Amino acid sequence: MNLKRVVAVAAASAIALSAVVAISTPSQAAINYCKATDLKTAGGLDALVKAAKKEGALNVITLPRDWANYGEAMDLFSKAFGIKINDDNPDGSSAYEIQTIKTAPAAKQPDVVDIGVSALNGVIGAGSDKLFADYKVANFAAIPSKWKSESGNWYGDYNGIIGIAYDASVSPAPTKISDLANAAYKGQVALTGDPTAGQEPFMAVYAAAIAKGGSLDNIQPGIDFFKSLKANGNFIATKATPENYVAGAYKISLTWNFNAPGMIAGAKAAGKNLKFVVPSDAVIAGTPYIQAINAKAPHCAAARLWEEFLYSENKGKTSAQLTAKDLKLTGSKLFNTILGGQNVFVSGGATPILQADMTAKKKLINGPDGFDVPKGAKVYQPSPDQQVGGKTLVSAQWPTL
Amino acid sequence: MSTPEVVSLDRKGAPIWGTLIGQFLKALLALAPLLVFMSIFFFAPLWAVVLDSFKSNEGNFTFANYADVFKEPIITAMRTSFGLAMVSALVSAVPGAVLAFLIESRGSDRLRQVVASISGVLANTGGVPLAFMFIASLGAEGAATGLLKAFGLDIYGAGFSLFTFWGLVLVYTYFQIPMMVIVFSPAIHGLRREWNEAARTLGATGRQFWANVGIPLLFPSFLSAFLLLFASAFSAYATARAMTNGTIALVPLMIGNLLDGNVIFDEVNLAKALAVAMIFVTLLAMVPYIVIQRRAQRWQR
Repeated sequence: MNLKRVVAVAAASAIALSAVVAISTPSQAAINYCKATDLKTAGGLDALVKAAKKEGALNVITLPRDWANYGEAMDLFSKAFGIKINDDNPDGSSAYEIQTIKTAPAAKQPDVVDIGVSALNGVIGAGSDKLFADYKVANFAAIPSKWKSESGNWYGDYNGIIGIAYDASVSPAPTKISDLANAAYKGQVALTGDPTAGQEPFMAVYAAAIAKGGSLDNIQPGIDFFKSLKANGNFIATKATPENYVAGAYKISLTWNFNAPGMIAGAKAAGKNLKFVVPSDAVIAGTPYIQAINAKAPHCAAARLWEEFLYSENKGKTSAQLTAKDLKLTGSKLFNTILGGQNVFVSGGATPILQADMTAKKKLINGPDGFDVPKGAKVYQPSPDQQVGGKTLVSAQWPTL
Repeated sequence: MSTPEVVSLDRKGAPIWGTLIGQFLKALLALAPLLVFMSIFFFAPLWAVVLDSFKSNEGNFTFANYADVFKEPIITAMRTSFGLAMVSALVSAVPGAVLAFLIESRGSDRLRQVVASISGVLANTGGVPLAFMFIASLGAEGAATGLLKAFGLDIYGAGFSLFTFWGLVLVYTYFQIPMMVIVFSPAIHGLRREWNEAARTLGATGRQFWANVGIPLLFPSFLSAFLLLFASAFSAYATARAMTNGTIALVPLMIGNLLDGNVIFDEVNLAKALAVAMIFVTLLAMVPYIVIQRRAQRWQR
């Protein structure tokens, strides 16, 4: 081949290639989804769905399937959009999520995180690197301003209340926190973890404080209550997990209401009859968990579509109800067919952050019976600042309980 | 283990420096893979932990993290961790050593092999599965608890609980005793029959042989095995975590909560100071071992 022919072939193929490129891209410049800050800059819902489908995968992190109905949320999203979800370390902590963003190699980076408020304080303060990407979901305006950053850097997603999960065999059945001191429950009361490490057991101590005459600024009566339970042998230090429950290590635990439906279903499968009651002497609502998109997300479009899905208020089909015909729909039509993430949380027993907006728009579906705040009950919610005071006391006293 | 005979000397007995340096470089080359490995996986992380332990959250130099080590609740955790490690090592080391002796001196080859395999498995049983095994058997509603109750022995009624200091000691012995058997058996195996025969020929009684020869010879090995048990109990994490929910103060659990909790996020460097303190305690425990080992080495050539 002589040089002239080489040049000619190269030129011809370059022209052909640019023609192909010109045909395949739409008239406007390609959208950089990593820079999209809302649905508009993402080119609309149709374009976002298309781009996310093309990416084909979403990296989530520390999402247990039986936590707040996340199992259904992941199944539904995955089935509807044909996007594979990789869940790294489902039982990990918020600290693990932050550490992973800071240190993991590009391919292992999560696209989205779901973290506790106290973890948030550590990463958005002055002088911290910007870990999250700004993105305002379509329903951003309806999120209470207390629970979102103005720029859309992070936003609350759902919360729950602390209730009592108990084996049907215990007698009498507990109805309030102070019942747990009953001598009939010797060796049967457990927490889901160490309150200096987990938000759920930490809030359980708050619930005990309210029940025993304390306040959101005074968690001491809660610590004292567990101290007395340990002294009379009711409170045992085993971790309340499904395995330990089935093994008979404990019968009563304090847990988020949004984890109870999953626990009850799991218990039933293991031949156990687990029940749940909202205590009548203390209703403690946790601070909402926080959603954010990782600034280094490997799947920028899928991450944004996931957030749109989680904040969608749609009443629609669950993963089991989706038909092959539904799956042929495209873009926004498909998106509007499926149950919105906020209602997925509701069906798991959680309180969605958009509850007020959804109630006003009559979009709220009915959650499972018996897991919600009883009518007329006073709900206590410790603010992040109050939690700082609480955790100082708990971490000083719990190790020598 | 020193090898003084490899030093090259010229005819007048002075070392030949060129050859010496060559030998040094050769030795270094042989060590290189180990040194590289150790640097990446041991020295570098150790250096980073030590460095961070002297930093405040803002990154300034401070001793505050170490001052906290001597305050409540950490000082209690230090004491409890040390106590737990000591007690569980003691109650495992003695029966483990006796067991190893009986098997090595009286057992058949077949028994020795079987015990070695079983010990290998048991010594590596740990973490959450181990905790679960005990909860399922000796928990308040456990199978063994129920069986004992059926025979009229209500251990929980008598005040026993698995979720206490002594409960943890019991669980730890489950992997500590087999570990002792594994690490102590070679020492007994190395006790030469000729020494016993020589002592007997010279008129020593069995008791005299053990008091003056056997036990002094085995003691350094016993001590090193004991230290290994101490270190493994001192640093055990997952089992304790699954069984205490933080209600027994232990240093590894505190480090875990500080680094990987959902509630406390601003004391990462304190966790590193705790880690350095643990290393320090382990080093202190090594001192008596090194002293005794030095003395014993004179015998063992």
